[in-house]
Amino acid sequence: MLHDYALLTITGLLWGGVYLLMAEGLNLIYGVMKVVNLAHGDFIVAGGLLAVTLFSTYQLSPITALPIAGFLLLLVGLAVQTGILERLVGGGSQAEIRTLLATFGLSYIVSNVALLLWGGQVQSIPFLQGAVKVGGLAIPENLLVCSIIAFIVAGSVHFWLTQTISGKTVRATAQSELGAASCGLNIKMIRAVTFALGSAMAGAAGAITIVLIPFQSTSGGDLTVQSFTVIALGGLGDYVGAVLAALLLGLTQSFTSYFLGSNVAAAMVYLLFIVVLIFRPQGLLGRAGRV
Amino acid sequence: MKGQVSLTERVPKLEVVRPVTTGARVTKTFAAAEWIPFAIGVAIAVTIAVRGNGYVVQVLTSTAIFVVLASGWNIISGLVGYVSFGQVAFFGLGAYLAAELIVHFQLPWYMAAAGAGVGAVVVALVLGTIMLRLQGIFFALGMFGLARIGQIAATSLDSTGGAMGETIPTTGDSLQTALTIIGVACGAVILTRVIMRSRFGLQLMAIRDDQTAAKGAGVNTQAVKVAAFCIAACLAALAGALYAWNIGYVDPTSAFNGTIELQTILMVLVGGIGTMWGPVVGAILISLINQVLWARFPMEQQIILGSIVILVVLLAPGGLVSMVNRFGWARRQPVWAPPPALETSDEVAAPGRTGGTHPDGALRGVSLTKRFGGVVAVDDVNLHAESGQILAIIGPNGAGKSTLFDLLSGFARPSSGKVHLGDRDLTGLNPHVIARSGVARTFQTSRLFSSLTVWETVLLASSSLHESRKTAVAETAKILSKVGLLNSWESFPERLSPGQQRLLEIARALALHPRVLLLDEAMAGMTPQEIARVHAVLEHAVAQGCAVVAIEHVLPAISSLASRVQVLDFGKTIAEGVPAQVLRDPLVIDAYLGVGE
Repeated sequence: MLHDYALLTITGLLWGGVYLLMAEGLNLIYGVMKVVNLAHGDFIVAGGLLAVTLFSTYQLSPITALPIAGFLLLLVGLAVQTGILERLVGGGSQAEIRTLLATFGLSYIVSNVALLLWGGQVQSIPFLQGAVKVGGLAIPENLLVCSIIAFIVAGSVHFWLTQTISGKTVRATAQSELGAASCGLNIKMIRAVTFALGSAMAGAAGAITIVLIPFQSTSGGDLTVQSFTVIALGGLGDYVGAVLAALLLGLTQSFTSYFLGSNVAAAMVYLLFIVVLIFRPQGLLGRAGRV
Repeated sequence: MKGQVSLTERVPKLEVVRPVTTGARVTKTFAAAEWIPFAIGVAIAVTIAVRGNGYVVQVLTSTAIFVVLASGWNIISGLVGYVSFGQVAFFGLGAYLAAELIVHFQLPWYMAAAGAGVGAVVVALVLGTIMLRLQGIFFALGMFGLARIGQIAATSLDSTGGAMGETIPTTGDSLQTALTIIGVACGAVILTRVIMRSRFGLQLMAIRDDQTAAKGAGVNTQAVKVAAFCIAACLAALAGALYAWNIGYVDPTSAFNGTIELQTILMVLVGGIGTMWGPVVGAILISLINQVLWARFPMEQQIILGSIVILVVLLAPGGLVSMVNRFGWARRQPVWAPPPALETSDEVAAPGRTGGTHPDGALRGVSLTKRFGGVVAVDDVNLHAESGQILAIIGPNGAGKSTLFDLLSGFARPSSGKVHLGDRDLTGLNPHVIARSGVARTFQTSRLFSSLTVWETVLLASSSLHESRKTAVAETAKILSKVGLLNSWESFPERLSPGQQRLLEIARALALHPRVLLLDEAMAGMTPQEIARVHAVLEHAVAQGCAVVAIEHVLPAISSLASRVQVLDFGKTIAEGVPAQVLRDPLVIDAYLGVGE
């Protein structure tokens, strides 16, 4: 029994890393632009399905596919930001609604394109299917690798944002666009870079997480909500908060699917999402909107 | 002082103004005209239902179902501004409720549809109370989540066939089905029209434009939003029930289908979000486009629909109807307009609100304190507003003046202290309750409703006080003429000068027949003429026994009228008394003008 709990806790925390990896791009974009990209989950799916093709056609491992998917989605993100989002008119809540509607339309385009390219079936990649034994507990290798990558990415983004000049310009823009612009920063470019980078992170996350979670072209919506749950729980744009939130979600998932079944676990994300929004709209750490 | 008095004398206290009614006549002609295309549309639909072949009738019924669904989405997302990505949750709920009632309770289809509508309202009442506390993206995605929860629940429910779905025995011929669905669609359109021309619709649009200002105008925003949410849910559930009954089958994937959501949103966007005819025009157009797409690009349908969403948002965010609006056609008609001509200076005070007769009608703030984290914005402030007097609150920036107003009007809860209006304890009451009980306010930065006309803005406040339409309309006309805006009754706020916008805000507050009027820098940005107008209005209100509390930066703007001045600095009262004396107080000069004066 104790053994079960230990395993559930460890896999829960590792799954938390996977959720974090999928949510990081969305978090970066929200933190800087106060925009939620509703096509985020579809970007993840596209990255994952691309990795499947690279694996089956060119025998490239998901680790190699990761930068390729990231780069392609970087280009997509750049095109979306400069071609659509930057051109929306209106300000305030009106702009927010228009961005939502535009990315809502985009999510259907991306998932339909994915459907045409890869078909509708559920796909995955057989990769690192062994298990690591730690003190009598068997931990899946692929879960471990995904989780480690997640924390590396989280760490490097955090380092970039807090320790480098280019990262600081992004944070400055997040805190005050007007202030950043009056310091001579090119706000438009920073927004484009941020959106492209966030999209790239989604694609890269998809390329590796498909090893763990089989995707189909229509999985995007669920992944968007799941990622949004993580960043909302963490306090929209808050990096440390997102880490805690992802771990909490991982634990919740691992325990509910063990005790209550996978259907309840699937609904759990949404329940958690709604509960969080109602009782803790400012997130776990309660300092919303900071990068 | 003398100069001010002569200024006020130049402005007659009560003008007898006849509103310009040419615009109103135009509006009326269109009111008749807009029903002609509607009647023709219905006639065509009925003809198709009677004469058309199976395929055409199916296109027609599916279009009509979408009209119902789109009308519902337009009410919650277009009129109230709460964009939902999960309206299909209620569509699916309706489909399943109807299926259950038909299959397991052997109810006739119309009872089942009615049951689905009622069931959805009950569910929406509970969900709306919770979900409508969320805003923007949170509400939109929260609703999306609900739709997914609904789908998961339907999949795991064995009594309805789980993931496989279940068959519903079809009753009635296709003509009866088609006519029923057309009838419900007409009902949805008429309902939209009734709402948009009612007090309720006015409140919805006010909430969309500025929720805080709506509360200040006495609107019970939470109740109104939940009501709209329930109506939208009911329409969606009816659409779902009719859909299930029409195809004789229900399953989780098609009942909670994301493509239905996409199409619904697209229809309203293309037609014109928040407009009366948008959902109908959009539903017909997109349904027709969809038929072509199904035939020629069955695989690329979502790409094309998604691209249209983006194109509409980019190029024509108002949709087709608002493009037509530019030429003055199909423009939304003002609620309860035109204003009646004012015959005489009828000085009939509103029923139940004869301000002067309340012996203790004064507003008292007792040791009010407000802390934000470690900052004490308002620190143990006492305030006493006497009926028939003007109290000026002055103080440098950040002295806590506006926070004090928020405490008095219920927009913020005091950390400690009490607010009394006469014998009544107002502490902790909702802003709209306080507004209706006689404490009206304006805001430091102008908060007007961008899509409501001058007439509607004041009518909103007036109608939240007066049940009777006649009284509300008469009061609104009277107040508008008092502030000199009656001739601009058809204008939108963006067309007014900054001073006129301020006047409109004051008019909105006066429409609540306040016993206490809180003015937050109401005269900032006004011309001397407009200031004189405000002075005249204030003197009139004060003469009727209203207590006025005015925050001002510009001392001369109010000091000539004020009987007392209270000076705040760092959240504390540093001086109070008659203006002449207070303004000579060295402490005040120090705080206000800096040392070295």
